[in-house]
Amino acid sequence: MPESIPASLIIDTLKDTFREARAAFAAEAKEPPRHDHLGWILSVPDTHQKTVLAALDKEEIIRTLTCATEDEATTISAGLWMGGEPNVLMIQHAGLYASVNTMRGVAMDGHVPVFYMIGLLSREKDKDPRESRHSMVRYAEPLLDTFGVPYARLEGPDDLHFIPEYYRLSRERRGPAVVLVGLETA
Amino acid sequence: MAAPSTPPVAKAPMKPEDVLRAIAAARGTAICVPTMTTSPAWRTIAPDDLSVGCVGFMGGASAMGMGLALARPDRRVIVFDGDGSLLMQLGSLATIAGGAPRNLTHLLFKNGVYHTSGAQGIPGGFNVDFVMMAKGAGYRNAYAVTELEDFKRRLPSMLTEEGPLFVELHTGLSEQTPMTVRGGGVPFHTQVENLRAKLVQPR
Repeated sequence: MPESIPASLIIDTLKDTFREARAAFAAEAKEPPRHDHLGWILSVPDTHQKTVLAALDKEEIIRTLTCATEDEATTISAGLWMGGEPNVLMIQHAGLYASVNTMRGVAMDGHVPVFYMIGLLSREKDKDPRESRHSMVRYAEPLLDTFGVPYARLEGPDDLHFIPEYYRLSRERRGPAVVLVGLETA
Repeated sequence: MAAPSTPPVAKAPMKPEDVLRAIAAARGTAICVPTMTTSPAWRTIAPDDLSVGCVGFMGGASAMGMGLALARPDRRVIVFDGDGSLLMQLGSLATIAGGAPRNLTHLLFKNGVYHTSGAQGIPGGFNVDFVMMAKGAGYRNAYAVTELEDFKRRLPSMLTEEGPLFVELHTGLSEQTPMTVRGGGVPFHTQVENLRAKLVQPR
């Protein structure tokens, strides 16, 4: 049975993910960017991850940029990556559907690593997401399968390791990778 | 039945290629983000790796420029947007104003039509006031330029003043579009890779 994950655990995991990304980049680049923050969250606010977004407001070491659309968030992510900046998208499943052409055109055709945390709002606790009565929940994984995008389910605190793993995977495969946030964060 | 109305256009528009040549001469190390009808000409005028063209993802140039500008505050970033393109992601005006990148110059090549797809009029035609929209969204400065000499005179300040800056350029149609020069350019992913290599200089 899936469990809610406390926001603080997700933020600590994001910080570790960004630290690892900066260390990897420092080893890769002659001139790594010098910023005071660890990385960027590009958000189109998601009810499902609202406790994380609220907690991020108090974080100075992670910069959060609220975007008007998921298309923008995806493309800003590409620009940040080209400039050497670690970043993570936090959106909801409806935003994935809304921005699928940008995921294709920017992340896939551009070979740009884009890491998404996507909230499955209305996912039923006792049902597999693919069997949900809500189409927004039910079609998320099949859509990602169609586009060949790797994903993992974040179903509880034991799954937090998927955040750095799929972040790294997006970099290694130079394309999108997704973590699906199963229940509302606590 | 009434004949379809001809979209209004600028009375004495600037040639996009003239504008791009002036930018190429003045840009220094600025990163440039062309989209749609400025892309083919820019490839010829400035065939370097400090540019990335945005074609095929529906109005993303401003957001691409935003990401680059936030990542690299040490460099100027110039977006060559189109009016039809900007309308596809109009919310980016507010997103850019919210992020407030001081090094972003957002140039809008306004011709009143979707040139690439056959010059159909954009919603509202040439009368859409993007300057007012950018100001309303919260850009630090926004204004329109209608003559090439005025553009050349103002260009140095466009490349140095604190942004985000929005400039609506009243232009005619470009000589080429992505449809008339299909297949002739550097693939998008190669442009991305080249620009990243220039910016982060892998060891």
